[in-house]
Amino acid sequence: MPAPDRRSAFPARLRALGTPASSLVTRPLLRRSLPPQSGGRGAPFDSQGMARAGWHLALAASAAFLLAPTVLAVLASLKPAGDLYDANPLPLHPTLDSYRVAIADFPVVRLLADTVAVAAGVTILQLIVATLAAYALVEGGARAGRLALAAGTVAVLVPAQALIIPQFLLVTHLGWQNTFAGLIVPQLSGCAVPLLLLRQQVRAIPASLTEAATLDGANSWQALWHVVLPVMRPALGAVAILVFAGTWNEYLWPLIAAPGGTPGTIQTGLALFLNTEGANPGPLLAAATLATLPVLAAYGCAARQITNAFMHSGIE
Amino acid sequence: MSVVTPVTDGTAPRPGLVRPRPRPRRLFTRRSFTKHGAGGGWPFLVPFLASLLIWVYGPAAATVVLSFLRWNLTSGPPAFAGLTNYRALFADPNFLPAAWQTLLYAAGIIPLGVALPLWLAIALWKRPGRAAFTYRCLLFTPVMLAPVATAISWQFALNPLQGVLHALCDAVGLPTPDVLGDPGTALWGLDLITAGKVIGLNVLLFGAALAAVDPRTVEAARLDGATEGQVTRHVLVPQLRRTAVLLTMLAAVYAGQWSFTNISVLTQGGPVNRTDNVYYLIYVYGFDYFDIGRAAAASVLVVAALGVLLVAGGLLRRRRDARA
Repeated sequence: MPAPDRRSAFPARLRALGTPASSLVTRPLLRRSLPPQSGGRGAPFDSQGMARAGWHLALAASAAFLLAPTVLAVLASLKPAGDLYDANPLPLHPTLDSYRVAIADFPVVRLLADTVAVAAGVTILQLIVATLAAYALVEGGARAGRLALAAGTVAVLVPAQALIIPQFLLVTHLGWQNTFAGLIVPQLSGCAVPLLLLRQQVRAIPASLTEAATLDGANSWQALWHVVLPVMRPALGAVAILVFAGTWNEYLWPLIAAPGGTPGTIQTGLALFLNTEGANPGPLLAAATLATLPVLAAYGCAARQITNAFMHSGIE
Repeated sequence: MSVVTPVTDGTAPRPGLVRPRPRPRRLFTRRSFTKHGAGGGWPFLVPFLASLLIWVYGPAAATVVLSFLRWNLTSGPPAFAGLTNYRALFADPNFLPAAWQTLLYAAGIIPLGVALPLWLAIALWKRPGRAAFTYRCLLFTPVMLAPVATAISWQFALNPLQGVLHALCDAVGLPTPDVLGDPGTALWGLDLITAGKVIGLNVLLFGAALAAVDPRTVEAARLDGATEGQVTRHVLVPQLRRTAVLLTMLAAVYAGQWSFTNISVLTQGGPVNRTDNVYYLIYVYGFDYFDIGRAAAASVLVVAALGVLLVAGGLLRRRRDARA
């Protein structure tokens, strides 16, 4: 048996105490005035002030760098065509001209609705399949669990591009090209991701819980529905967010399954619009902004839930 | 601490804890559906395994078969071609450079997509509070934005002839770099744009690993007079090593696939094929040239190479962990 498993059997706290920190305690180090507290939460102008300012500067600069292109694009989308490449990024003569062109050619509302439908469909399908499999991990014994996890792990590692040709042929054979079924069902190929994410949660469910249910006369379905699901619900919510976000951002499969763009996702819609309006940056930036703002709004409302979902996604 | 019977999930029993109860091993017994549910998990696996079979393992097997066929979607029926497709690949002047560039994408994403997030996550962890939460959310925002929209924004921002970047470079007195148009820099430019979506995610994943760090280890080091830099280097980073290795492996494996959208939207492999990678090339063979056989052969080679890399990486990791 490999060593890492043995180590992870101990609680993280004990493990942490065995790390080089304890050897550091014995190591002679430069004596220095101690910071008042772990976080250095002193007044803004004490000795910690400089460090605090540097901290803000570094983090704000990183965030600004990552968000600058998006902000520039949103601002530029409000400029008249002549000012688009002005040195001044601010729209001094704001106009909605670009948006008028974009809305005429870029059916943003339909594309957003289609994308929500596809992402919701994929999320629901994947979660049903993964939840049933997760229950099998609780109830199915070691062999079922090993098989499911091995099959899932390998499936996650196979690059999507290596599978698209047979998937495309199958979807065409089924007559699913340019349909919601073609956009949604093949994305079951990713159903191993939620299972791997749910694994940690499942592991925490004591077998005695379902045992008690079965002793009380519940069958497997009842045990799943009344005992395991309620325990897993917070984890399921987080995983649903992750799957939804991943499907929302999916580009390759919609490109293959629905090249016509009806129904189509916002990703392929934008790519199509880029092909036709590439020489026309104003409307292009307006379309990109239209695709961005609803997501920003949703993210703004649920930032805490979304970041928590990713943070507790159970990566070891 | 209370000891609960661990759930058997495929890992070996954990030493020191109670050994898991032996479970009935029979398949599809009547017990599965009776009130004694234990051991009857198999039916619940069926939808999962069927999904993987139809949409992953079936297509994977079909790809192997297709790689031995000569089949152009636009022309007649497929015919057996032996190793022709593989020979054609190695004769193709685009394939081996694309394979090399796939490795470059992986190498470029690691400093930006793993090392920088590690540093940012530690900085955020040291000063928890409202400000840290806000920064974390801001850093994560690009992860949620549509990749195509982000690509379009970067293309606008990096315009070499006019615009904000041009004005900035002019003010400093430097010539404006044509990041995406110069064969020497285009790949790194795409890597940078791709990393923008990875940074925020990895900051959160490192943050999750940091949540398991015992603050007392840091307190002890501080009491001993360690500087903040020493605390980071000697206390926090060693505790994040496992996560860092895992995220590095993931970044190396997925860099090529993450770059796909940006290549497809921004450069289509150009200038002079310098931003091609094997994943994009598979797509081009299959859906631009309709050369199914060659696309399948390229897929087989890529998966084989990836498999070798992953197994080697896994063995290395296991050996290092065993020594640690």
